[in-house]
Amino acid sequence: MLFNSLTFVVFFVVVLILFWSLASWTAQKNVLVVASYIFYGAWNPPFAALLFSTTAMDFWLGRQLAKAKGKPSHRWWLVASVCMNLSMLGFFKYGNFLLENFQWLLARIGVMYQPPHLDILLPVGISFYTFHSLSYTLDIYRGVLQPTRSLRDFVLAVSFFPQLVAGPIVRAGDFLPQLVRPQRLKTNQFLWGLALMTLGLFEKVVLADTLLSGPADRIFNYAGPLVAMDSWAGVLAFAGQIFFDFAGYSICAIGAALTLGFHLKDNFRFPYAAIGFSDFWRRWHISLSTFLRDYLYIPLGGNQVGPFRAALNLVIVMFIGGLWHGAAWTFVVWGLLHGSYLVMERVLRVSFENKSWASSPGIRVLAGFATYGAVCVAWVFFRASNFTVASRMLNGMFGGHQNGGDAILSTRELLQIGIITAGVIAMHWVMRDESFETTVMRLPAWAITGIGSIMAFAIIFTQGNSNAFIYFQF
Amino acid sequence: MRSSISSFRERLRLPRLFFRRPSLEEQIHGGPPLEFERPIPPAPWRGIAVSVTIIVIAATVFWEMYARSLGYGPTLNDNEDLWTMARRKVQPESIVIVGDSRAWFDFDLDELQKGLGKRPIQLAMAGSTVWPVLSDLAGDNNFHGTIICSFVPMLFFAPPGSPPMERAEKGVKRLHSQTPAQRVGEYLGIPLEEHVAFLKPDDLSLEALLNRLPIPNRPGALVPPRFPPYFQTEDRERRARMWEKCAEPGSKLAKEIQQIWLPLFTPPPPPTYIPKDVFFATVKKGMEQRFADVIAAIEKIRGRGGKIVFVRFPHSGGLKELEDRITPRERTWDPLIQKSGVPGIYYSDFPELSNFDCPEWSHLTAGDSVEFTKRLVPHLQTALAR
Repeated sequence: MLFNSLTFVVFFVVVLILFWSLASWTAQKNVLVVASYIFYGAWNPPFAALLFSTTAMDFWLGRQLAKAKGKPSHRWWLVASVCMNLSMLGFFKYGNFLLENFQWLLARIGVMYQPPHLDILLPVGISFYTFHSLSYTLDIYRGVLQPTRSLRDFVLAVSFFPQLVAGPIVRAGDFLPQLVRPQRLKTNQFLWGLALMTLGLFEKVVLADTLLSGPADRIFNYAGPLVAMDSWAGVLAFAGQIFFDFAGYSICAIGAALTLGFHLKDNFRFPYAAIGFSDFWRRWHISLSTFLRDYLYIPLGGNQVGPFRAALNLVIVMFIGGLWHGAAWTFVVWGLLHGSYLVMERVLRVSFENKSWASSPGIRVLAGFATYGAVCVAWVFFRASNFTVASRMLNGMFGGHQNGGDAILSTRELLQIGIITAGVIAMHWVMRDESFETTVMRLPAWAITGIGSIMAFAIIFTQGNSNAFIYFQF
Repeated sequence: MRSSISSFRERLRLPRLFFRRPSLEEQIHGGPPLEFERPIPPAPWRGIAVSVTIIVIAATVFWEMYARSLGYGPTLNDNEDLWTMARRKVQPESIVIVGDSRAWFDFDLDELQKGLGKRPIQLAMAGSTVWPVLSDLAGDNNFHGTIICSFVPMLFFAPPGSPPMERAEKGVKRLHSQTPAQRVGEYLGIPLEEHVAFLKPDDLSLEALLNRLPIPNRPGALVPPRFPPYFQTEDRERRARMWEKCAEPGSKLAKEIQQIWLPLFTPPPPPTYIPKDVFFATVKKGMEQRFADVIAAIEKIRGRGGKIVFVRFPHSGGLKELEDRITPRERTWDPLIQKSGVPGIYYSDFPELSNFDCPEWSHLTAGDSVEFTKRLVPHLQTALAR
């Protein structure tokens, strides 16, 4: 079920009425579990069974982990949980990718092997809920979380519908405590939740789907060489599209959770005003970057090891981050590019940290634009369906086509992309050092009313066609 | 700069039921989660909510009234879900109409039912090529009914990846992958579309209005041609009827659409990145392949006892001249009928089918479609009796 669909509107209204009309907290939680499974099953009912089996296994493994005596036994249960979760993910998401690469490797050494193509349907949001569930056993192993005694509560923590299929990646440890005490209906919180949902839908339906996705798709799907202006316009359109698509979903999820009394953390904090790549990753998909930081980067030694190992750790983490997004080498290259950006940034930081001019406003703004430019270059690999497309795009962007290439975007589309890109960058720079809530707090009530009305009417006016969110495929 | 979670008012509120005290190391590295609440910006939210609701309702009502004042009325929008709904009704012995918008506009289902004894199912899609639908029906081993197939050469031979091909593929893909949520969404959307006039994604949406801005393009820019604006209504059976505003002879809308057909039906120039001879050889090969694929699909359907008939519908004015020049009958229709061995009805072969005028050069008016179908039925009966 998509947030931007009529089905969701009806579903959500029914859930809100049921949830807030029940007096018993247990019954309210039961409603949310059933609603979450209906929400997920509305894509493909059998996948709800897969979701439940993964959850139930982690619930049981969490208890075994807590009961285990001694470090080796502890570790064994953790390995069992990690293997179970990653093998599910591996089979459904990476099965064919692994087979194809295995075939390629064998061919290099002269062995001709034709593996069967596995007709596997990717369960929507599997990467997200696997991480929701895995965070539980990882935190129990780390000793920062005690296992819950309620399977229902754990099922709800993993499957809570606002964040189930496209994040934010909510750790069990962040959610389970919120299930201890009944939620009270607070009018301001409820209405602020609805306001966030309106903002999220506006970003998705109006900005991402209507104004940016069309030109981005046409540019990336064009089979011939493109002129520099169109190539850059396509990449900028995609940079805007993916931000509004994913940040829009996250804001919707946070808003929907708030209307039900739950609090989810921010997943984006004005990433296109980042100065440097470590800053970018503190602002983009925060729930994934902190997940990888806490469960991979730090266990690998983080930056508490030698500079070479620390750099290698960064590259490994970003390699895994790239692969998490999709079973394709283009995603791996995207991750590795970001890994190398982070390493370069460390080197530059060491070289220039004592120079006073390095922290002057002009240099910071320049560094911000350089970060945005490098992030856009990396988006080429993220969006391109293969390396031929990526190389054609990069050639177009940097004047590599000998005969110039074709211009395929209309002037209206170019203007649209330019205005939105300038707008999003300006907004991010204005708000980069504060929270979104602080910005809203400063606005007078009439301005909030005006902006809210424009956004809500624009959603109706746009008549979106329920395009899936990009991150569902991950 | 504040940390990523500093925007929350972090405070320990609950007993430490789940958490142990974090070690110093864990605290440094982000460590254990803390109980938190999102801040709610202080503002008169009740008043804001009431005002926003009133403004949005007023703006929506105004927009609806404006749309109606322009002549728009409530009607269904043709999309993959509505097509899928119709496709699901196909029984093993059904009569189905497939092809492009001419079959969609020009057939009257009541007249066909009277003449052929069964109510046909309308599966033709505007601006689509027939191949994906034909292939899907051929692959459905239960189906051994009757297919009435419209033939417009430019659409029939549309290559893979082209908009006509994508349009048809979307429908077939939705049939095989429609989620329960999409199915429910269509049932919820139908009553809404039947009562609200401004729900016209192709004409009254933000994107459609932006598309109409008169901004000149760069010289030499390969911008795709415009699609025609709204000019039909559609019911739950997917029966399309030309909007009266377009059906008026010489109307502004009809003239506007006439001028849209010409670039749409003109083949785009060969791509700059493929040598011309290679491109034309590929096009020729593609056309031959389409012939072969369609004939194979027909043989499959006929092998199960199914029947098929091709129909070339009336078209007129500058569009007829263009089609006759670019896709002459001898190179398209005649070889198809000859190679497939399937009966075909070419409207201009029969005087009673030839004297219809298409106001916008491509489709019949709702009234003419009834008369045309009535006159076509005897020819269909003859063709299907073979």
